[in-house]
Amino acid sequence: MGIFDKVGKKEEKPRADFSNVKSGSSTTAAEPRPSTESGPTAGTTGRDQTYVVAAGDSLSKIAKRYYGDANQWRRIHEANRDQIENPDLIHPGQQLKIPGA
Amino acid sequence: MMLHQSRKVSLSLCLASILLMAACQEKPADSTPGTTGTAGTAAVRVSDVTLGRAIGTDKSISDRTETFRPSDTIYASVATDGSAQSATLRAVWTFEDGQVVDQATHTIVPTSRERTEFHISKPDGWPAGKYKLEVFLNDRSVETKNFEVRAQ
Repeated sequence: MGIFDKVGKKEEKPRADFSNVKSGSSTTAAEPRPSTESGPTAGTTGRDQTYVVAAGDSLSKIAKRYYGDANQWRRIHEANRDQIENPDLIHPGQQLKIPGA
Repeated sequence: MMLHQSRKVSLSLCLASILLMAACQEKPADSTPGTTGTAGTAAVRVSDVTLGRAIGTDKSISDRTETFRPSDTIYASVATDGSAQSATLRAVWTFEDGQVVDQATHTIVPTSRERTEFHISKPDGWPAGKYKLEVFLNDRSVETKNFEVRAQ
């Protein structure tokens, strides 16, 4: 039985650990201007945007980037209720609607 | 005379039905609201992706290579041509069997030829092996680069 066990199992190479990889980016192009408005101003005329979640992102980080205030994460959560159940859990590649500010 | 008139009537009926059919056709999908973040990007394209160990102030690679040392910071310089209100570049770095090393997104407002650099580093050194960088423009894969890390 022991022999068959060994034959059946393929030796698996241990997966490399990339948890401490540091990354960054910069550009010569202009960057989209995040809104400087603060406070929940529902119903304002700003246009919605789409943001693709990257590794290491959180709703607070995205809120800080777009609204200048990490506490505005609830606005993004509300706008994406259909795809975010747990606001602490978003995935790279997810496309989030960023409500206009 | 009568024949001529009936021909005229059938011709106008035919024309009317063509117009009616055209009016009943569905609107094109691009009228969907809420997608302005990537609007107007059709004119932007990725023209070049280069890898290397260092970049200059113009974000182009100054030390080009596709074979790295474990201690290297790996840079990718992505050149784009064209202009748009917004364009999203994504760099996905993978190791050998597809294990994701890192992925990063950068949204730009390109006005002409631009360069965007992505870089990755690992304080305790890269495992030796074959790696791949895939570059996406607005979620569409546009370029793939293979590179290697060799033990010193």
